[in-house]
Amino acid sequence: MFALYKREVRSYFCTPFAYIVSALFLMVFSWSFIRSISQMSSSTLSFQFPAVFYNNFFFFIFLIPLLTMRTFAEERKSHTETLWLSAPIRVWQVVLAKYLAVVTVFGLMLVLSLFYPLVAFIKGSVIVSSLICGYLGFILWSLVCIAVGMLCSAVTDSPILAAVFGEAAMIFVIILDSFAETQFVQSLPWLSSAMLWFSTQHRFAAFAQGFFSVSDLVFFVSLSAVVLAWIVIVIEKRRWSRG
Amino acid sequence: MVEIRNLTKYYGTHPAVTDISFTVGDHEVLGFLGPNGAGKSTTMNMITGCLPSTSGTVLVDGHDIAKEPLQVKRLIGYLPELPPVYPEMRVREYLQFAAGLKGVPRAERKKQVDYALEKLSLTDVQQRVIGNLSKGYRQRVGFAQALLGNPKFLILDEPTVGLDPKQVMEVRTLIQDLAREHTIIFSTHILAEVAAVCERVVIINKGQIRAVDTIENLERQVSGVLRIRLKAEGEMTKVTRIIRSVKGTGDIEDVVPDTPGVNTYTIKAESDEVRKPLVAALVAGDCMVLEISTLHSSLEDVFVRLTSSAPFTDPEFDTEPAPKQKEDDN
Repeated sequence: MFALYKREVRSYFCTPFAYIVSALFLMVFSWSFIRSISQMSSSTLSFQFPAVFYNNFFFFIFLIPLLTMRTFAEERKSHTETLWLSAPIRVWQVVLAKYLAVVTVFGLMLVLSLFYPLVAFIKGSVIVSSLICGYLGFILWSLVCIAVGMLCSAVTDSPILAAVFGEAAMIFVIILDSFAETQFVQSLPWLSSAMLWFSTQHRFAAFAQGFFSVSDLVFFVSLSAVVLAWIVIVIEKRRWSRG
Repeated sequence: MVEIRNLTKYYGTHPAVTDISFTVGDHEVLGFLGPNGAGKSTTMNMITGCLPSTSGTVLVDGHDIAKEPLQVKRLIGYLPELPPVYPEMRVREYLQFAAGLKGVPRAERKKQVDYALEKLSLTDVQQRVIGNLSKGYRQRVGFAQALLGNPKFLILDEPTVGLDPKQVMEVRTLIQDLAREHTIIFSTHILAEVAAVCERVVIINKGQIRAVDTIENLERQVSGVLRIRLKAEGEMTKVTRIIRSVKGTGDIEDVVPDTPGVNTYTIKAESDEVRKPLVAALVAGDCMVLEISTLHSSLEDVFVRLTSSAPFTDPEFDTEPAPKQKEDDN
């Protein structure tokens, strides 16, 4: 399994992929960073980093399908999946290895983004606890988004389609909250509460404001696990029904 | 030993493979022969565990692929129809990764990768990126991958497709070489290949087994059909008349014009003996014989006949080598 993980991580860095997506990520990050600074009122004493995450989360989230689109679709297209299907390894191990690889690449992107807090820290003051909370919330949220992106990649053999599905899924993830709060859904309380169980935005908002809660942590981790299990099922199902 | 029992695979409602059974003994080279779309790849995918079967089982050294997939996969090296290589990786790096994936212990990886590189003459290109290699080389990299983990069984799905004639010869030699240590099942739709390397063949068509037998036995079934190829100079009607006048010749099946005044005739004959009187008659009739040869009825005839006839059923899963074909000659 480690061999697969290593190969996946390397494949991101042997191709221009990781670099271009990281560059895009940093570009978006610096843009929102600059905007936050310019909008700072003189009365604010410390720089609120989580606001950078929160105000621009949907930009970040749209980058995730770009990272995940190739995970399974590309292997199906180039027929390399037979390699791990015929190897003495289980499908869940493959899914987990690929997932951890994407998480690693995403983690490295976040490490690069630490440059901005560092600058802010040197030139001004940063509320460290809320910064940590913001990063934590962002990591947890992206754990779910990466799993969803990979699921989209597992259902098609075209990486482009996987990216499109992924973006659609991300939009769904984002609007779930506001949709649950519409008057129509509110008129059906069971529906609205069910939607709120699965909505991620308000949980992320709590992290972004510097609140850490174990229940939210459990939510993000378990939701990721459920989506990963779903990927395993999708792959197994495809093996049964097609070639 | 690999035992395939009543294997069936449906893609939706379409049967790809129906109720096939055969056994492959240890240290045997088995040719898996069939026209395109006969179900060869599907069967191989099921033997290697890439594809679950709709019904039936595959037992590899007594392990059931459905119940103990990991044990079975450790015993098998698989080269799929399209080599499963990652274009962005280097040859050596890829093989090292594949060795890791197959659970080869870290200490042994280098040795096994070196062995596979050497067996497939890839040592010179080991640092090159696979995407930049030619099709033949990519195929070899895929083949090298199958050797890692020193599997007892090698399953090769059309290992010579897309290779140039020299490479085809090399792969054949390699298969013969590997047969000393491994049990090999390989599929092909090229008959010469089967004749060159296999002891036994399974002929499959439209998802059903048509024959499981040794090559000699199969060839014996169609003996009696002998053809003579004759290249002669002279007017076609005259040559045809002379051929017909010779005792022992049958129908003239085919006439292909060669250079002006020269034609190549394919003639059915009762035996080899007919060649002498035929040449004598032609020379006496003032027709120059440029070439004459016998075309032995071969695996090709068996193949053509079997892939256009009723299915073969063998309740014993082919435990006896004797031919058991029951079908009318058509």
